[in-house]
Amino acid sequence: MKLVKAIIRPNKVDDVKDALDKLHVSGMTVSEVRGHGRQKGHTAVYRGKEYNVSLLPKMEVEVVVPDDILDSTIQAIIGAARTGEIGDGRVFVTEVEHAYHIRTGERDVI
Amino acid sequence: MSATRDREIDTEEDRRHLAALLDAARQEFVADIERGLGAASAHVRFSDRIDALVRRIVDAARPRTSTPFAVAALGGYGRRLLCLHSDIDLLIVFDGRILPAEEQFVKAMLHPLWDLRLMVGHQVRVLTDFDELEPDNPEFLLALLDARLLAGDAAVMAQVREGLQPSNGTWREHVVDALLSLTEQRHAQFNQTIYQLEPDLKNAPGGLRDLAAARKLVALADPPASVNGDAERLVGAEDFLLRVRSVLHLETGRNLNTLSHSLQEKAAERLGCPGEQSQQRVEALMGEYFRHARIVMRALARARGLGAAKVPVPARLLPGTNFELTAAGAGFANMVRAALEPASWLQVFELALLENVPVAPAALALMEQHGARYTVAQYLPTAVDRQRLMQLLRPRPGLYARLSEMHDCGLLSRVFPEFQAISCRVTRDFYHKYTVDEHTLLTIRTLERLRGPGQPSRERFSTMLGELQAPERLVLALLFHDVGKWKVENHAEESVRMAQTMLDRMDATADERQDVEFLIGQHLQMSRVAFRRDTEDPHVVQRFAQLVGTEERLKMLSLMTLADIEAVSPDTLTLWKEELLWRLYVDTYSQLTFGYGDETIDPGHAAVASLQARRPPDLGEHELASFLEGFPRRYLARVDAEHVYRHARLARDIHPDEVHLFLEPKGETWELSVVTLDKPYLFSNISGVLSYFGMNILRGSAMTSPAGLVLDIFEFTDQERFFQFNPGATPQVEKLLQDVVAGRQDVAALLLRKEGSVLYRRQPQRVAPVVHFDSGHSQRYTVMEIVAQDTLGLLYRISRIISRQGCDVDLVLISTEGNKAIDVFHLTKKRAKLSEADEGALKEALEQMLEETHETR
Repeated sequence: MKLVKAIIRPNKVDDVKDALDKLHVSGMTVSEVRGHGRQKGHTAVYRGKEYNVSLLPKMEVEVVVPDDILDSTIQAIIGAARTGEIGDGRVFVTEVEHAYHIRTGERDVI
Repeated sequence: MSATRDREIDTEEDRRHLAALLDAARQEFVADIERGLGAASAHVRFSDRIDALVRRIVDAARPRTSTPFAVAALGGYGRRLLCLHSDIDLLIVFDGRILPAEEQFVKAMLHPLWDLRLMVGHQVRVLTDFDELEPDNPEFLLALLDARLLAGDAAVMAQVREGLQPSNGTWREHVVDALLSLTEQRHAQFNQTIYQLEPDLKNAPGGLRDLAAARKLVALADPPASVNGDAERLVGAEDFLLRVRSVLHLETGRNLNTLSHSLQEKAAERLGCPGEQSQQRVEALMGEYFRHARIVMRALARARGLGAAKVPVPARLLPGTNFELTAAGAGFANMVRAALEPASWLQVFELALLENVPVAPAALALMEQHGARYTVAQYLPTAVDRQRLMQLLRPRPGLYARLSEMHDCGLLSRVFPEFQAISCRVTRDFYHKYTVDEHTLLTIRTLERLRGPGQPSRERFSTMLGELQAPERLVLALLFHDVGKWKVENHAEESVRMAQTMLDRMDATADERQDVEFLIGQHLQMSRVAFRRDTEDPHVVQRFAQLVGTEERLKMLSLMTLADIEAVSPDTLTLWKEELLWRLYVDTYSQLTFGYGDETIDPGHAAVASLQARRPPDLGEHELASFLEGFPRRYLARVDAEHVYRHARLARDIHPDEVHLFLEPKGETWELSVVTLDKPYLFSNISGVLSYFGMNILRGSAMTSPAGLVLDIFEFTDQERFFQFNPGATPQVEKLLQDVVAGRQDVAALLLRKEGSVLYRRQPQRVAPVVHFDSGHSQRYTVMEIVAQDTLGLLYRISRIISRQGCDVDLVLISTEGNKAIDVFHLTKKRAKLSEADEGALKEALEQMLEETHETR
């Protein structure tokens, strides 16, 4: 099992969700986050004054998937979240040792 | 019973006996609840049963100690209002030190209660603990107010009570402070409103704790006080709240007091609420809940007032009116007369807002009692009354509270009957925490708070609100944005339909109507674009800018979106969302002010077709099309059809050096439309003439078509009252404009004569000037934005320098926000964008002028 954490543009959440639905990825956690990657924010001008927008609003999508659909999950996220412009985001993958259903106590059933 | 009396509870039989006692008490209570009779009397019976149980246990434990003691019930148990699964709060006091024997006594008391799985809250004290107050333990201080002796030595309890008398001033003061402070903290957890979709019957505003607090404040008042009628009303509210809470305890088997959506259905069923469908029964239940919660909150407010009015405040009658100001707030001096003058009722709210005081409860009661006698027209009989209502809606401190009072007494739904459709309306979703009417009023509270101090994190939105020309339109739109929610689908569309009826009644101007309808109809759009669209795509911003059309509407829609999201629940408007909203606002503002020059009107434009279709007979199709061609589309978004036709007529047969103008009053300001043909120094000459006549330009725009037709629109204040005192002013201005444009008069020379005028003298600089160039937003123009201290003649001085630098002014947007002038110029030089060198030279010249103290040339 792997935990896939994707930092994406806010407007891409629905597209990523649809793409993951097609893979039958059953659950996801979505959080509002702010940060910057290589783009390190940008400068905006309002009323003649420049101000630096250093932490940009992004969405964090987390899913836990079986190893056999990891690659297709990552490709689905990248395909849905990409615009080709700077600021498209990142995907991180980490190992998950075990997962439990709180209601039933089942282990390692995703 | 007697067989086990005065014997330790240490056998299985003893425990079974106690369990049977508790079970019997609960079954009796459950039977009452199931019959919908779980009111105060049932709670009292159940409390008495538990009393007997506790006494039995105390009697059995008594031999463990020889120290005199008292066991008392505290809190709700002390008030004999124990519910099915309530905690049993006990106070055990010893008249002497606590030694191993006393510890054994306490254990012998508590263990059997724990064995019965009762939740016991206990305080073990010695009498000397009560010698001094415990100001850092306000909960205990208040719990003692309800202390009721259950078992033990009455003399010990009497000593506990000795210092706890209202006559003990220090104690009373501490208790009242503790009560007010804890109440305030508790209300803050619920966003200060009773209108919770899933209310906590015990802790929420208007719940059982508030009911108890109201009674305590009255009991503690010095001098002793009572509030007429509150005692009986509170008994009714208490019975209702207890009956509902008893159902929650029965249904969940726990000490749970939150009336969740699923429990609302069950409670409505058990309590026999009317309605064929479950939803109808739930609405009936919640309607009753809010009615009782309002009774509790009003009683609490009155009880709080008893403490506040330590020094009697004499009534102040407002001369020539039926209004007075008293310690209770703004009210009527003569109630009989007031009952016959419904048109005066809204004025009490005006007065309360002006004085920042509440409306007196007696006045609210009068409006509630007599409100049904009158029609909407009788509340707002004249245009002046309707205009006053509009002005009453201007956001400022106290507006939310006054509108809430107006809603609670029924007046809001009488002047705006459409609002009744969402009164106590419950929406079920994962996000909303309040009823639709309260959500609506909370949006106005958000605006009001932006006007007040203490919102540094929201400064950018506060500034935006301060810049609005007619913020009352935004408040009116907020009041109506969800009235269509009585329908399940397309509520924005339904809200617009309902608002149109109201706008008809209010005789709203075309501008008011368009703004309010736009805001209501589009109130969900900005959050959709900000949170779900790629706002880095210029086309997305461009389309959104086209939707809003003007900066004023953009600001109103931004604030509406902010307020609407914040009023959903305390956690909905995150900094993350706020930032996305702000970014969309900035990008759209830039598009509206910097990028609009490239979007010109063409004959196929839908708005042109609409104008052509409604064209008056004196205007030809070709004449109108020629006039419009090449002007920015922004013109059509900002100007209504009547003015477009008027401008087209002004352009008719215009010749070089001619100036055609039209002047009209616009409330407290004037609007001047000028049509002429383009030539060098034109804009600076026109603005110079306006300065010469003392016109302080607030906002406006200047446009040049590719054919060289110039249309300038200025809104200004008449500083020198030139137009007020000169009926023939318009021809005089027209003549001078023509002379200046034709070169027969030198405006610079004219203005030199004005130098000595106090009005014309430059004010000390409070706004640091900013000159900013942008070459990216427009394909055709270099856009220059200037932010500077607003002074008379500023526009003339700026445009004069632009012309001196050989630049052409093609488009101008003029705005003033307080003492700050914000002007955006679209410039070209020899029909091309400015070079970097041109920008540098112009910037230097402008900055030098802006920093000089007495530049007038």
